[in-house]
Amino acid sequence: MATKNQPLNDPMLDPITGEDRVIAPGHTFKSVTEKISRIVLTSHTPIGWFGGLLLAGGGVSMLLVAVSWLFLKGVGIWAITQPVAWGFAIINFVWWIGIGHAGTLISAILLLFKQSWRNSINRFAEAMTIFAVVCAGMFPLIHVGRPWLGYWLFPYPNSMNVWPQFRSPLLWDVFAVSTYATISVVFWYIGLIPDLGTLRDRSQSKIAQFAYGWLALGWRGSVRHWVRYETASLLLAGLATPLVLSVHTVISFDFAVALLPGWHTTIFPPYFVAGAVYSGFAMVITLAVPIRKFYHLEDVITIRHIENMGKVMLTTGLIVAYGYAMEVFMSYWYSASHWEYFMMWNRMFGPMGWSYWVLVTCNIALPQLMWFRAFRRNVPLMFIMSFIINTGMWFERFVIVVTSLYRDYLPSSWGTYRATRWDYATFAGTLGLFTFLFFLFVRFLPMIPMSELRILLPQAKIHAEGEPLPEAGD
Amino acid sequence: MEQHSGYHEKTLPADLSAPAFVNGWRSRALIIGAVFSIIGVILGFLANDGWAHFLRAWLLGFMISFGFCCGGMALLMTQYLSGGKWGLLVRRPLEAMTRTLPLVFLYFLPVGIFGVSLKKLYLWAQYPDTENALKNHLINATQAHSIHFKKPLLNPVTFWEVSIFIFASWALYTFLLNRWSLQRDADSQPNVFYWQKRFENLSGFGVVFYSITLTAAAIYWVMSLDPTWYSTVYGLQFLVGQAYGVLALVILTLIGLSSAQPIKTIFRVTEQHDLGKLCLAFTMLNIYLAFAAFLIIWSGNSPEEIPWYLDRIRGGWGVIATLDFVFHWLLPFTLLLSRDLKRIKRKLVVVCCIMIFARCWDMFWLIEPNFKDAARNLHFSIGILEYIFVPTGLIAFWMANYFSQLKTRPLVATNDPHVAEILEPEHAHA
Repeated sequence: MATKNQPLNDPMLDPITGEDRVIAPGHTFKSVTEKISRIVLTSHTPIGWFGGLLLAGGGVSMLLVAVSWLFLKGVGIWAITQPVAWGFAIINFVWWIGIGHAGTLISAILLLFKQSWRNSINRFAEAMTIFAVVCAGMFPLIHVGRPWLGYWLFPYPNSMNVWPQFRSPLLWDVFAVSTYATISVVFWYIGLIPDLGTLRDRSQSKIAQFAYGWLALGWRGSVRHWVRYETASLLLAGLATPLVLSVHTVISFDFAVALLPGWHTTIFPPYFVAGAVYSGFAMVITLAVPIRKFYHLEDVITIRHIENMGKVMLTTGLIVAYGYAMEVFMSYWYSASHWEYFMMWNRMFGPMGWSYWVLVTCNIALPQLMWFRAFRRNVPLMFIMSFIINTGMWFERFVIVVTSLYRDYLPSSWGTYRATRWDYATFAGTLGLFTFLFFLFVRFLPMIPMSELRILLPQAKIHAEGEPLPEAGD
Repeated sequence: MEQHSGYHEKTLPADLSAPAFVNGWRSRALIIGAVFSIIGVILGFLANDGWAHFLRAWLLGFMISFGFCCGGMALLMTQYLSGGKWGLLVRRPLEAMTRTLPLVFLYFLPVGIFGVSLKKLYLWAQYPDTENALKNHLINATQAHSIHFKKPLLNPVTFWEVSIFIFASWALYTFLLNRWSLQRDADSQPNVFYWQKRFENLSGFGVVFYSITLTAAAIYWVMSLDPTWYSTVYGLQFLVGQAYGVLALVILTLIGLSSAQPIKTIFRVTEQHDLGKLCLAFTMLNIYLAFAAFLIIWSGNSPEEIPWYLDRIRGGWGVIATLDFVFHWLLPFTLLLSRDLKRIKRKLVVVCCIMIFARCWDMFWLIEPNFKDAARNLHFSIGILEYIFVPTGLIAFWMANYFSQLKTRPLVATNDPHVAEILEPEHAHA
């Protein structure tokens, strides 16, 4: 319960609003720039970074082996067969795409809603989005069986007069995911330009000056540049906002338009989107916690960020729980349908019922701890919670895909599903690829946007007739 | 708060009560309510099916008024959770909406008494003995199966128990939200942290609880008009639809009040623009849920689900469905895309009026085709005119009650950290 004993004189609290500060007091424009750019421009690469990269590289190697073997032998090395023709590949695809959603939500929707706390975490969340989409996009390509014909997914005039099925959500996926990837990359790059200009100006090495200068596209920080930059950011945010909804909605249609109990339900679009944001924010915490510790960024990725992300996760987790509850209520009982009833019974108590309860524990039961402020503000516990949630979200897709398919209408066509070592190797390999790309990102690009962080400083607030306070620094 | 030379901060006026012209609004609402209600009653006597349509139209008027009242409560709790300056602006109008709950409960009583206990509205209440009803061809086999299967839920006793429980819980929430708000203003110290946490704790659970109870209410009061059909997203659609209507009404209220103090001082173009953007977001969310549900059911084309849409598209209903799309989404969406429109009061008023009208139109499309005489058969009768007069009468009386509530409290909550921010000139932040 709230009490009137407010912590007095806590420098991390805003004295007017009583909220935690977004960044710790004491920073100036100069100190922010130095702190972030030093991580990239230093000639001393931490040994821990090499160790992490090596470990992630091991995962990438495993992925290469798994995919090479797949190309040599075919999708028969996976566990997919009838009736479960969609196995790990689609589960992993949906899981990775979902993880990417937090980046778009943070960079686009929170920008439009003027949530300034996003500024510290939006850059690496956007990077995370791109790497997650890379991992996700790989699965449909390697799942088609003949990946060298993957371009057939796109509608193009051809001599065979063969066109994709425009009424299939699987084709909508191609458009949705490729649009999403394009906008995410463009948004991320546009946001990087002012910081690339800063790195160009501050770097001592000729190679770095050339590389960052080339990437900065001649950024000079003039008023005209800033106006165009702000306009472009807002336009891209406007374009990206519907994508947060549309991508996972289209993915939910992959299931929902089919007449299969467990798939055909109208709550799927919003609950897929909420689930995507849920897992995305969990992954942001998974990445943010070690990063802030390793690079001593506790003063720019503060408890405010961890707590706010906890609140977003709690909210989206509750929407997901609402979706599960409506499915159970409608399918198990209100539908008055034998088929729906059996699907839900089988999902909960059938041979694979354990997976449903893992999902309920990880996605609904344990995250309720985030109702407590003390829990949301406990960094190690939130770090553990982020793993629990992403485990739960992976199992959500497993439950949807496998437990709906393996026992459908006809008992004579029932089967089972047991993933092979190649299924596991491919999934683990994408975890390695994601981590590998992320390690490269934090070393070579500013993981926190310096230009946006400077706006959060009290010195940036315009007081007297448009003039900033005198202590703004340089 | 530190001030710099030339930094022109506004100050709140001494009198924060609602301006006198709100009394005029209330009188006009009462007159409209009385005239339309009398015509509604006359039509009930004149038309053959007048009383049946009267009750259906009453349900429509009740659902809209209930949406404003309890949707206002949900938005009130949401602004405590989200924070932000917009929340301070809309807080007192939303509190006034919530305090209309007793009137909304009165509106509910005829639905329960005539609709369920006297079996005039709900098929499941009319034919509890499904076997005989099926034998006498009063219902078909699907209806008989559904009514029989869902009897533990769809029966008068459970209906009343659930409805009373959810009204009682909402009443408790209304009481606490309004009482604490006054206590907060009366507090001699800001105690920002204390009050924020207190409201957050109440609202956090409240929003979850409201979502669950609203889902139950939407299923009982509207969806169960057709006991054979179900949609898992139905409750969520109502939740979003209520926010859509409440936002439109709160913007209308603020714009109406902004010609006089105290709203004139605090209602800046920036916040008006923000509220307009929120409207645009809910306009998109609304059509998103509706279209996604339609696409899934249309693609599935299963005999259990598709009749619900066919009842609402064929036999002339296509016109109503198309206009629902136009009023509910096409017009507000295309208009609200304009930045200028969101910043010009008289234009935004037009959009908000369209949005509220669209809620009524949509509710008509949801309710009327559930009945055998109207499904796939949109036709004119004297009785159908009840859909104009009864809801207008009910909503007008509700408005009168709302305006009365607006007069009972200061229009600005003064013990809030955002007061200082909202008194800053526009563009105080870089």
